[in-house]
Amino acid sequence: MDRKEFIEKSLRLGVLTGIIGGSVFLIKRNKIDFTCSVDGVCKSCSLFTGCDLDKAKQSRNDERKKDSKQTNRREFIQKGMRLTLGASLAGVAGFAALKVSADDYVWQLDPFKCVYCGRCADYCVVTPSAVKCVHAFDLCGYCDLCGGYLKPDANARSTAAENQLCPTAAIKRKFVEDPYFEYEIDEELCIGCAKCVEGCTSFGNGSLHLQVRHDLCVNCNECSIARVCPADAFERVPASQPYKIKGDFTNKDDNNKPA
Amino acid sequence: MKHRKLINTILIVMAIGIVIIVARDFVVNRSGKNIENPYAFDVSEYAKVDSSEIIYQEEKVLQLKVDEPKGIDFYNEAIYVIADSSLLKLNQQGQLLQEIQLGDEPTAIDAGPQVWLAFKNQIVCIDENGKELQRWPDFGPRSVVTSLAVSPEYVYVADAGNRLVYQFSRDGKLIREIGAKDEQKAVPGFIIPSPYFDVDLNEEGYLWAVDPGRHSLENFNADGSLRTSWTISSVKTEGFSGCCNPAHMAIMSEDKFVTSEKGIVRVKIYDQHGEYLGVVATANQFNEVSHAPDVCVSDDGKVILLDFDRKQVRLFNPKESD
Repeated sequence: MDRKEFIEKSLRLGVLTGIIGGSVFLIKRNKIDFTCSVDGVCKSCSLFTGCDLDKAKQSRNDERKKDSKQTNRREFIQKGMRLTLGASLAGVAGFAALKVSADDYVWQLDPFKCVYCGRCADYCVVTPSAVKCVHAFDLCGYCDLCGGYLKPDANARSTAAENQLCPTAAIKRKFVEDPYFEYEIDEELCIGCAKCVEGCTSFGNGSLHLQVRHDLCVNCNECSIARVCPADAFERVPASQPYKIKGDFTNKDDNNKPA
Repeated sequence: MKHRKLINTILIVMAIGIVIIVARDFVVNRSGKNIENPYAFDVSEYAKVDSSEIIYQEEKVLQLKVDEPKGIDFYNEAIYVIADSSLLKLNQQGQLLQEIQLGDEPTAIDAGPQVWLAFKNQIVCIDENGKELQRWPDFGPRSVVTSLAVSPEYVYVADAGNRLVYQFSRDGKLIREIGAKDEQKAVPGFIIPSPYFDVDLNEEGYLWAVDPGRHSLENFNADGSLRTSWTISSVKTEGFSGCCNPAHMAIMSEDKFVTSEKGIVRVKIYDQHGEYLGVVATANQFNEVSHAPDVCVSDDGKVILLDFDRKQVRLFNPKESD
């Protein structure tokens, strides 16, 4: 259930409660009390219409109505106030109940829509950006020649700074076994520029991708990156499933864990 | 009074200035507007090809009415395409000659007098009418068969999952596994980072296998020892770049190689020693986000591509020399 749906439901509930309460009040107000206390039995049936008892009751009712006209108006206002207050409280209670049961929402970016524009690095209100590169290890080829780590025209497949594509050297290359290497992201250094993401997607399996890290994100009402994202890759997702990690993207049981 | 007018004027000018700045910020920084990327990594630079290097031209496009094309081969003037769970036989004009339902989704094909098909981890041989002649037991859950090459004596099966080429007799007897790391035979072992692992046979019947993680093509003797290999690892047009290229390969007359690459999608030709000859199709002839096309060659030297994204069979002819 998204936010819009949630608000609509709350409003509907409030309006419905008001209508029901108002209807009950009006029915009660217009109800004529035909109960006769003579012998504790009501005589006001169609068989006795026009009988002395009935006439007496009618005239007594008319007199009472005249006498208590002022009182009824006051009661009406009081009851109306009470009802309005009750309806409002019921609405608020319903709203609160829905809010408790509904998920909160957080910002996340869809890695399959990302176009590596670099704006995640510069437009986040947090510095450095709360958007970081994450690594879907199950997609990685563990290549010696990593398109996300090495510059395309690197003079050697080494960890030398001049060969690294990342402007902040945030990717750590570790030897696993000949000829495989593992690549890990140092999130303290990562600025979310997506340069490695473009390299990995263009030349490799696309295992490197960006995600909003929720331990860093301040969850602004309007995400300042989403505002300038040219691919509309940012969206609100339920806080219970805050990540869209490649690889297990479609595995609903496990898509809330960062890589 | 005079001061009051001055102050009002200044306030109005400031208000206008603020409105202009806010409006400009709103318009300029809106999504979709061109904001310069200070971290730009222009991959398209590497996709550019000098026109003099393009030695083929597109002759014909055959549109397929399928959901998911899987592989292509050429035999006896006919194009064989596997797609969805069918085998399609087309002539070069695009006329559908035959369609055989396979009951499962094939992953690789080798067309000849008999058609050999791979189904993820199984091999099936059918005759020209689709009658099943052989079905071999599967190679296990790790197996991902990506390519087949069939000689008169042997069937070579490229298994990307196990990083091996199996050499079978034609009746299904496993003779040997080729490509496992073996220092005695000088075999370095295949590096297969993704399920792109192609094999083919040259004119003499020797096996050539792509080693995509090394940007190599490796040639094996019948006993599984390494015969020769060539490697060109470079981001320039004449080389292979990325984690796993070439993704597909076919051998044409004079043992020339047609290679197809992913990442920067392009199709190129190399001579028998791995010398770069030229380009068949450049990246701008494919969709912006595209898969490496499967390749095969016709007897008259046409390069035939299976474009997975456009669902087309594309025929390329050598350009006539001036």
